[in-house]
Amino acid sequence: MTGASDRREVFRAGQRAILHSLPGSAAWGLVSGVAMVKGGLSVPWAILMSLSVYAGSAQLAALPLIAAGAPLWVIVATGLITNLRFVLYSAALRPYFANEPAGKRAALGFFMTDFTFTLFMRHAQLGTLPERHRDAWFAGVCANNWITWQLCAITGIVAASGVPTDWGLEFTGTLALVALVGPVLNARPAIVGGVVAAVVALLAHQMPFRLGLFVAAIAGIAAATFMDSRRAPGSPADTASST
Amino acid sequence: MSEPVAGIGLAVVIVGLALTTFLTRTSFLLAGSRLRLNHRVEVALRHAPVCTLMAIIVPDVLLHGGVAFDFSPLNPRLIGVVAAVLWLCWSRNILGCLASGMIAYSLARILL
Repeated sequence: MTGASDRREVFRAGQRAILHSLPGSAAWGLVSGVAMVKGGLSVPWAILMSLSVYAGSAQLAALPLIAAGAPLWVIVATGLITNLRFVLYSAALRPYFANEPAGKRAALGFFMTDFTFTLFMRHAQLGTLPERHRDAWFAGVCANNWITWQLCAITGIVAASGVPTDWGLEFTGTLALVALVGPVLNARPAIVGGVVAAVVALLAHQMPFRLGLFVAAIAGIAAATFMDSRRAPGSPADTASST
Repeated sequence: MSEPVAGIGLAVVIVGLALTTFLTRTSFLLAGSRLRLNHRVEVALRHAPVCTLMAIIVPDVLLHGGVAFDFSPLNPRLIGVVAAVLWLCWSRNILGCLASGMIAYSLARILL
């Protein structure tokens, strides 16, 4: 058995793995911070929301509803449905952490985001996860992402009036997602699934409560799985190698 | 239009959003070994990252203000994404991808 220094090394490797994606998290955090204050929240409320919710897309979806004085349950339901994709992420991560104590699983879940989940799954797929201490590796990924996002969100909240909103900074977040998804679009099932998800998302964008995103994800996964099943069993290329 | 949500109402909303985020993110993780998903479902979920990200990215690029379709080749976001993807094909460097995408996007917004 190797000790704590080994775990610390793996934790640092996780921190390094996300380093190049951090500008995307930074810009996205900054934009969400600015949006909260410009959307009418006072500074303390905005900071509280950023620290406790830590979900940019749900926060941005809730803001116009808060400003319009929508019924509370409508706001929370919109947040819930925006977050439904995390249920899929959680199910995908479960096999990797099933043997960890419940407290650690809860913590890893709390800090899991689109960025950190996709990065983890990409390394899982490429076989570049560390052999041991995967929890520490993922914690390192999540730690850097959380610190970056919160620092930038709080900067955006405090300095909202000084941050230019017409530079389209939030587009950096989209580009960081492109950089994450690009290398994974390497086989026909993934490409078909991605295209189906994109088309359904475009068609379903007016569904209430932002349900379209979740519906699109499910449709894409179904299409990709169908392509998987059409593949002749025993074909050498990227067969389902579940860990 | 009614008054913005504030005070106790806002506190309720923030607690509600924090709870739904926590519960969705930890759902299956906390179920742990008690709950075994069908193996085929677990294999299918390998596609969750690609499909969700595409469902986020593409409307973000092609829906102007989240409402109207913008399939024009002069759409600055489309130009930015194309530049970023071209960079990714050439090099795996993420910083370069972000920079090239932002530069192309900004230039397109200024010039077009």
